[in-house]
Amino acid sequence: MSTNDIIADSPLARKLDDYPVPDISAGFADRVLAAAEARAAPPPELRRTGSGGGRSWRLGRRLAIATFGFSAIASAAAATGMLDRLDIAVPSPERVWASITGKQPEAAAPVVITAQSANPPDAAPAVFDGLIDTPEELNEAFRRIDEVRQGRIEARRERQNQRIERAIERRRAAGLPVPGAEEQARQRQRIDEVQAIRQQRVDERIKARRDELERKVESGEALTREDIMPPMRDDQRAMDRRERTVRLRQMTPQQRRALLEEYRTRRSGPEPGAEDSIPDSPAPDTVPVGESPPPQP
Amino acid sequence: MNASGEPSSTARPLADSGSDAALAARLAERDSNALREAIALYASTLQRIAFRMTGDAHEAEDLVQEAMLRLWDQAPKIAARHPVESQAAAALRLGGWLNRVVTNLAIDRLRRARRMSAGEVPDSEDDAPLADALIETGERERSARALIAALPERQRAAIVLTYYEDMSNADAADALDMNIKAFESLLLRARTALRKAYADFGEGGA
Repeated sequence: MSTNDIIADSPLARKLDDYPVPDISAGFADRVLAAAEARAAPPPELRRTGSGGGRSWRLGRRLAIATFGFSAIASAAAATGMLDRLDIAVPSPERVWASITGKQPEAAAPVVITAQSANPPDAAPAVFDGLIDTPEELNEAFRRIDEVRQGRIEARRERQNQRIERAIERRRAAGLPVPGAEEQARQRQRIDEVQAIRQQRVDERIKARRDELERKVESGEALTREDIMPPMRDDQRAMDRRERTVRLRQMTPQQRRALLEEYRTRRSGPEPGAEDSIPDSPAPDTVPVGESPPPQP
Repeated sequence: MNASGEPSSTARPLADSGSDAALAARLAERDSNALREAIALYASTLQRIAFRMTGDAHEAEDLVQEAMLRLWDQAPKIAARHPVESQAAAALRLGGWLNRVVTNLAIDRLRRARRMSAGEVPDSEDDAPLADALIETGERERSARALIAALPERQRAAIVLTYYEDMSNADAADALDMNIKAFESLLLRARTALRKAYADFGEGGA
């Protein structure tokens, strides 16, 4: 017995001993037996057994690491314009697909349309210009927000349904038991109930917020877009980062390289005449967002 | 017990050497009487462990049922690796295997309950407790259950297995899938935390 042991008959030991355990309920064994009879066969083992399993896994892992490493290096080289500098042509996915199928790549415009049509039409963010200072304008703003919100709710519900379907398909493909129609209906009902509760809370918060905004407008205060739709949490910096990424994607490789050079120069500290040393490098902010980049050389 | 979840072959042999292997063989043949025997042999021990881990009789029974069903599922594999009258059969301890399963199930259940309770937003209600609830709470806080419940899951398991079930440190470490040194360290922390909780509840030292 070590010095740390709980000494028998000490107050702590007496307190711990005063912890009776209720008997197991009557009919427990019968219940377990019934459950064992009704239990489906255990799922098959995921790991392969046998002498070749370990070896093939090691080989597969090496191949996976090599593939991933090559992809990462190739992506980095393409993103930094390295391949362009070495005069290596990088085919676009459309061209690769066309070379496989033998069809001509489609023009860019229809692709853009397809991408847009994939999103629900209502999911576009509501845009407000100018100040909102009348109840009518405020109501209109609320109406547009509700439209967008409804679109998002429907899109979310659609994604959720797809996820459930995929999960069921995966289980079925793996030979695992899948929930029956009744079970599925019960689970979906449970999800709906939870979402309804959450929706109710959100609606209450929105109503309180709108009441406050209406009072402000009634008292003659003019509201801006930020008053109605404040940036969520600390996402402002994330939005800035996203904008910068979009801008970078729209640049040509030369512009991107110039920007990189400028960034390196800035990091290495101010040098006399540093600004004059890269007269041809375009400033990042001079590339307008949304405009198509100049044609590639 | 080893890392693959198989019953330990290094544990002490039973008085009735090989009887567990025979039981496993019968379970593997889907003999429901064998399952009934296994329940009669082990369920009460498992119930004690589960109840003292969770503090809830229904929950404990649920865990014991799940452990017994896992034994039912795994019996073919266990029987295949411990054929009757082999050397491995003599060392098979289904009790140790079940202790480990039920301890791990209880730890998982406690962790899940903690995660869920931390994530839920309770509905607002009248915060003032009723008088009988106050009395009951006061009693509960002084009870052994509250002392045990104040410990983190693994520390709780260490106390339940060594103090209440009177297991050796080696067996308890086996049930928690730990090496003996790590388990002794865990047990030391558990006892220290238990004494602190006892002192916090306004009682004397141990």
